[in-house]
Amino acid sequence: MSYQPPSGTRDLLPLDVAQKYWIEARLEAMFQRWGYHRIITSTVENLDTLMAGGAIAQSSVIQLQGDGPERLGLRPELTASIARAAVTRMAQVTYPQRLYYTANVFSRAPKGSQAGQREYYQAGVELLGTSGTLADAETLRLLLSCVKNLQLTDWQLILGNADLTRSLLQAFPERLRGTVRAAIAQLDRITLETLDLPDELRQRALQLMDLRGRPQDVLQTVSQLPLTPEQQAIVNELKSLLELLDRAKPASPVILDLSLVQSFDYYTGIIFEAVVNTPQGRQVVGKGGRYDNLLGVFDPKGRSYPGIGFMLNVETLHQALAGTGCLPEVIPPSDWLVVPKTPQAAIAAFQYAETIREAEALVRVELYLEPEDDVAVIRQRARDRNISRIAWITDTHPPEIEAVN
Amino acid sequence: MLTIALPKGALLKESIARFQAIGLDFSAFLDKSNRQLQITTPNGKAQGLLVRAQDVPVYVEYGQAQLGIVGYDVLREKQADVAQLADLGFGHCRMSVAVKATSPYRSALDLPAHCRVASKFVNCARDYFNGIDLPVDIVPLYGSVELGPITGMSEAIVDLVSTGRTLQENNLVELEVLYQSTARLIAHPISYRVNSDGLSDIIQQLRSPALVTA
Repeated sequence: MSYQPPSGTRDLLPLDVAQKYWIEARLEAMFQRWGYHRIITSTVENLDTLMAGGAIAQSSVIQLQGDGPERLGLRPELTASIARAAVTRMAQVTYPQRLYYTANVFSRAPKGSQAGQREYYQAGVELLGTSGTLADAETLRLLLSCVKNLQLTDWQLILGNADLTRSLLQAFPERLRGTVRAAIAQLDRITLETLDLPDELRQRALQLMDLRGRPQDVLQTVSQLPLTPEQQAIVNELKSLLELLDRAKPASPVILDLSLVQSFDYYTGIIFEAVVNTPQGRQVVGKGGRYDNLLGVFDPKGRSYPGIGFMLNVETLHQALAGTGCLPEVIPPSDWLVVPKTPQAAIAAFQYAETIREAEALVRVELYLEPEDDVAVIRQRARDRNISRIAWITDTHPPEIEAVN
Repeated sequence: MLTIALPKGALLKESIARFQAIGLDFSAFLDKSNRQLQITTPNGKAQGLLVRAQDVPVYVEYGQAQLGIVGYDVLREKQADVAQLADLGFGHCRMSVAVKATSPYRSALDLPAHCRVASKFVNCARDYFNGIDLPVDIVPLYGSVELGPITGMSEAIVDLVSTGRTLQENNLVELEVLYQSTARLIAHPISYRVNSDGLSDIIQQLRSPALVTA
């Protein structure tokens, strides 16, 4: 019998935790600077809550055996949980609500893969109760600030608009619309080329899949399409949003990509992904979007509130930062080793250690617990563990302080 | 640097020719004395990985290669999350159900329920028989699938057929064609979206000859 962690999960040892915390602390500090407050929701949710938005398939949720008729699952993301909590528990608050989270999420390994990861860590924000370009700009600029604060350099922001793309897809006959949308979402050009569509519509579909690149170029192309007034309004909003981002520093490498949709999702406005070049190749480190109908799903009276948010994947950020020299490479050593020189000195040693620990800044103090009393051995021990000072304690004299070199 | 995954086997020669036509020369892979699995083009513009056809979508899905060429049969079997950008129009073959010529079966629906079907393409075989609502046992094999019916281990096989000669010489007949397959140009979705290493220009150039032959 060997006791390994279940496949797709892992233990984080102190150095792993120190590195993970380095990332999360920076993200949380940034969220707080923008006025966001932390929310903690349950790890376990009703399956119905998780799937209510229509973007989560039951097959991707790790289900739990409940004891009643409830169907339970481990959360694969936080947005549904926060939407549920916000609507049902925070009815009295004033909007907008700025909430953030750092949490573990779970998902079943996709069909066909042998051992995909099952537990992940995410940090993210939700800005609830306000719509409009300013809220979109705040969310995107916060994401840019987070990426910048992590000292990531080689990255891009891919920006789409689910509403505009959905609306452009209305041009296709209903029986094929789902197929066209799925093909565009999966960048499957071959399906579009062979679909049973009139030539003009086929060209339109291929053009839609290629609506991607420098924002001004894409907007130019879109403006030449026959747009309805609603579509034109969305394009104008996108223009104003890009202007609000343009002056963000550092100059944000934004790619406007109107083929950025998913086959199933709850997004109703902008949708975006942050891509970072890691030693393992280019990866999506974070994504999000606007979901103006999701909160209504959880409201008993069906009243909806707008919402927008994003999540960052902590493991992917870790991969991107590994080897850049940013992350801590050792766990922090103790500052003090307090050594009782005789058994009678134990109480004095505990008391002295306590006095040093009371300092305002964090001081790490460890007591010497072993029976060994050879001074040279103790000194070597402190040196090996990078402890900078030793306090030798007796029950009769004041402590002797020794700097370890 | 741009990295391209190239499939060993039947599609390799034409794949290399396609890249050669746009100035990316991986012909060193065709040299019999070559043992290197990773080479850079003489002009230093791109890197090639020589991998088994089944592994092309894997390298591309994980982003170690931004581009790859692979048969539709493999793509369909692996269900990889990659961008499918062009039908390159070579490497024609078809996925078929075949049985012994002496067997009484004349269509897939004639096969008895719960019979055995041998295949290298287990997902594809399973999907097909699910689709016609016929419960069968799939026997996964790694090669010489024709031996399944010959030895009596299985009633039928699901396998790739290009000319049909192998089937004929082994006294097998095709019952159904599941789909036609050709070589496909695939890309890592994120690299394709951000257009890293001038990817879209290269894809455009590779597509042009395909359009001419189509």
